[in-house]
Amino acid sequence: MQLYLPIAEIPVNIFLILGMGGAVGFLSGLFGIGGGFLLTPLLIFSGIPPAVSVATVTTQVVASSASAVVTYLRRKAIDLKLASYLLAGGVAGSLAGVILFDILQSLGQLDVVISLSYVTFLGTVGTLMLVESIKAIRRRKSGVVVSAKRPGQHNWIHGLPFKVRFRRSKLYVSVIPVLGLGAAIGFLGTVLGIGGGFMMVPALIYLLRVPTGIVIGTSLFQILFTMAAATIFHAVSTQTVDIVLALTLMVGGVIGAQLGARMGQKLRGDQLRLLLGLLVLSVGMRFAIDLLLTPSDFYSIAITKGAGA
Amino acid sequence: MIRRALPCWMAIMLALASGAALAEDLVTSLSSDKVSIKSNFTGTEIVIFGQVTRDNNTISRRGNYDIAIIVEGPTQDITTRRKGRFLGVWVNRYYERFLGVPSFYAAASTSNINELAHRNLLDEYEIGLNHLNLAVSGKSDVPLSDRDDFRQAFLRLRTQQGLYSERAEAIHFLTDTMFRTNVPLPANIPVGAYKIKSYLFQDGVMLSETEEELSVAKTGFEQFTFEMSRSYSLVYGLIAVVLAILTGWLAGVIFKKD
Repeated sequence: MQLYLPIAEIPVNIFLILGMGGAVGFLSGLFGIGGGFLLTPLLIFSGIPPAVSVATVTTQVVASSASAVVTYLRRKAIDLKLASYLLAGGVAGSLAGVILFDILQSLGQLDVVISLSYVTFLGTVGTLMLVESIKAIRRRKSGVVVSAKRPGQHNWIHGLPFKVRFRRSKLYVSVIPVLGLGAAIGFLGTVLGIGGGFMMVPALIYLLRVPTGIVIGTSLFQILFTMAAATIFHAVSTQTVDIVLALTLMVGGVIGAQLGARMGQKLRGDQLRLLLGLLVLSVGMRFAIDLLLTPSDFYSIAITKGAGA
Repeated sequence: MIRRALPCWMAIMLALASGAALAEDLVTSLSSDKVSIKSNFTGTEIVIFGQVTRDNNTISRRGNYDIAIIVEGPTQDITTRRKGRFLGVWVNRYYERFLGVPSFYAAASTSNINELAHRNLLDEYEIGLNHLNLAVSGKSDVPLSDRDDFRQAFLRLRTQQGLYSERAEAIHFLTDTMFRTNVPLPANIPVGAYKIKSYLFQDGVMLSETEEELSVAKTGFEQFTFEMSRSYSLVYGLIAVVLAILTGWLAGVIFKKD
């Protein structure tokens, strides 16, 4: 069944979109990630204009994170104060992201920047995850018990000024890395159409030493609001948010996410991280191949003014 | 159709009175003058009917009329980019901007376009893909020798998208003077005011031309959504966010059990 998208101005197969939303939702429920980094490329590969894909996925991430935040709020596993500091940085980063997005789009370099960033971030994060999870699996197999990293350990970040106390996370750190982290992820999220959870979670654990139990809820909470801001900025600035596409993706996504979450409870943490690492890495590779191989068509066209611009 | 035909008739009468040899005229009619895009839109086609009319002084000449019909969408500026290698990766390096080109262009004709008339005439009326006037912006970095590559690539890509087409022998004569053709409109047609230009040729001479208008517009929900995203973009963004949070929250509540 075909459905005409009013903003993308093309018809799509509604079951294909529901299926993509569902599949990515399943993975996001399974791994506890937003899934934007998978959904945006999928939409682009299926023929949706890149600008519409990126902007619309921010809306879809709002829905998927809202669904999870409800659960974490109920369990009180969110540090609201830390989240609001991250958010303040996130909104600023998101605004800068929209400005860059606009500039790149008019220069015709948006696609290559998106591809290069995917290669860099997915490649790095994927490799790190893979290495870490393989080590963890080996340790488990050889039966060596490793003590968990103590949250009290200090690094260079704890020497910075403007310190604030975050009671829920039992933290006393400078606002600079907190705001900076929020801004960096808000910026990348807006430009790349991703929530950035797969970068936020490790950063909160390893850089700020936030207790693991609080991390996912806090990260999702901040992503929810950063992506909500990104949706509004995109709607106003690039005007490429397709509400019909977003709704279709959400419906598939939230159902898939619930199924994925159930499946995830049956797998071990290190196995999950290994699978996620492989997944992240392969998406990154896909982009790298496109950049390095000689393209089948050297030319491309884009409407710069008039109907459909 | 009749309203359009009347001034033509008067022109013919005037022409006859002044002794000119203009004797044939062309009238056309569309199956519909409005294409509505709704949520189930997957493309459509319009049927164009036409008749060659002759005054009584003209001797009936059989079978050698040629017709060309051009369906043209609203104009756009389109940037054509060419990839080049930069630091090992393929990036867009050169571009050419085509100004005021049609967003949709479908040419149908009774025989091969090149056989209709001299190329100067085809160029003048922009009949046929190779006769389109693709004006480029003045500040182009593309060397003159490469310009034609960009032009060809542009036409090729637009044809691939189904937005440009040229179909010879797509117009059929039903009688000596009556003809019809179908022009397919793909699902990705841009919205706006379209022009349908019909030309009558005989032995390489253009005898007559006429023009009809067609409007392609989104209707109902699609129209409303699009308008809102442009005119009230902040409200549109807020609605998108509220809808997303509601959907997510609802799912969180429905699947609460675990």
